[in-house]
Amino acid sequence: MTAVVEVRDLTKHYGKVHAVDGVSFQLEENRITGLLGRNGAGKTTLMSLLTAQEFASSGSIEVFGASPLENAAVLQQLCFIKESQKYPDDFKVKHVLRTAPWFFPHWDQRFADRLVTEFRLPLDGRMKKISRGQFSAVGVVVGLASRAPLTFFDEPYLGLDAVARQLFYDRLLEDYAEHPRTVVLSTHLIDEVSDLLEHVLVIDSGKLLVDSAADELRGSAATVVGGREAVDRFVGTREVLHRDGIGGLASVTVAGLDDAERAAARSAGLELGQVSLQQLVVRLTSGTATDFTEELSA
Amino acid sequence: MTAIAPAARPLSRRLGNVIRLHMANPFTIFLTPLLVVSAIFAINWMIWWIIRTLTPNDPDSVANVSAGFQYSGATLWIFVYMMVIAIMAMNLTFSFALGFGSTRRDFIVGSGLTFMGLAAAYSVVYILLAAVEAWTGGWGVGGSMFNSIYFGIDSPWWLRLFHVFALFVFFFAIGSAFGAMYVRYKARGLILFFSVLSIGILGGAALLTVSGSWPAVGTFFATVGFTGAYALSLIVSAIAGLAGYLILRRATPRS
Repeated sequence: MTAVVEVRDLTKHYGKVHAVDGVSFQLEENRITGLLGRNGAGKTTLMSLLTAQEFASSGSIEVFGASPLENAAVLQQLCFIKESQKYPDDFKVKHVLRTAPWFFPHWDQRFADRLVTEFRLPLDGRMKKISRGQFSAVGVVVGLASRAPLTFFDEPYLGLDAVARQLFYDRLLEDYAEHPRTVVLSTHLIDEVSDLLEHVLVIDSGKLLVDSAADELRGSAATVVGGREAVDRFVGTREVLHRDGIGGLASVTVAGLDDAERAAARSAGLELGQVSLQQLVVRLTSGTATDFTEELSA
Repeated sequence: MTAIAPAARPLSRRLGNVIRLHMANPFTIFLTPLLVVSAIFAINWMIWWIIRTLTPNDPDSVANVSAGFQYSGATLWIFVYMMVIAIMAMNLTFSFALGFGSTRRDFIVGSGLTFMGLAAAYSVVYILLAAVEAWTGGWGVGGSMFNSIYFGIDSPWWLRLFHVFALFVFFFAIGSAFGAMYVRYKARGLILFFSVLSIGILGGAALLTVSGSWPAVGTFFATVGFTGAYALSLIVSAIAGLAGYLILRRATPRS
């Protein structure tokens, strides 16, 4: 395993607000990592710190073995596509695409041209005037065609329609397979990208809640459905992440069931459901349930 | 184990990229100002022509009118335009360049080179047009737009070239400093800066008035002369440029 990013005890505060609060993690090379969390959780700040756009309050960041701050060698390996990217006032789409190859050593012009056609980008449209979806698509095209060894997509598809989003996922996976690289994808549409993600970081209120392989995380909880009494008997003193019920029926999400427990549940006449990544993240970040989150990230 | 990045591209390449980035849309930086100059010129020419036609034909009147035209400030807007270019570059192009993996240092140095180059290019164009203006007898009607008293009518061309260049550099430099301040300290920082600056200037003026030192100020400028004053402006420009550099070195792109 080779790390491209190593973060230790990273903190960034603005006045009293701790946007990133004592975070430590590594990003492995050539993996797609999802950076998930609610609005204002600190996702953008974290990515801005990793790309040296923000200055850390304390802690250390190593990207490709060195601090990214004012480090041309490191920065030319990065591409940070953010939803709020600013463009020069007079720039049209074609100016963005003309200038990008100068900055990204691995830029693939043919791939870029193909993406421009597929996303139907108006080359003569002004960045200020084009629609939100087209604006996002410009970022997506640059992010993909740059083939940067470490690419960050921060909410890359605000305003993109379902077709364009699917196109993004497809092209990302295809190109990633041919040209492996490290990708960090922050998004709210967790279900949509769930299959893309190999690793998941969940951040809430600046703190890292989850740092785990996506499969492990998916298997870390299950929903047990059945008669209320049977469910309660099975659940017992187990960790309950979520509970729903109608009449005599109950649906309870519990943490980590092993194979024997699953078999026991089935023989008790209960149905077992998979918990989607999105449901998990919602449950992890919607309350104050800190006790089970520690177990998950352990 | 940690993956290590390959060596950075050479400095010349990185700075060249920033320079090219500023010129990626030649409309803003070249064509628009030249088109506006042309339009202003056309309007001025018509006015000169009308006045020239109405002026009595004796040599004294003609010379008087021509001398009057030399107070024209028809080209002064272009300096303000270049200041705005610098402000926008520090604000938006800075964010964009950092998004594309430029370091702050490369961006600032590359921008400085761009602005010096633009100042040089526009100064040369200015002085060439002034030469054509003189050679054609004021575009055939005794007009005067590029031979302006603000840059020294009687100075040799190379001194006027220096005057124009210094003024371009000045506006690029203060534009960069203002733009950098805005990026780093937001509107509040600019308001504070201009408040302090105004108080400083008014306080200085009050001090000069109370101490009766205005004649000394006059003598000072008379001593340093026209060229000296432009040379002094380069010091102000250098300070503004340095301030812009230091401010932007620790700035975060606005989002």
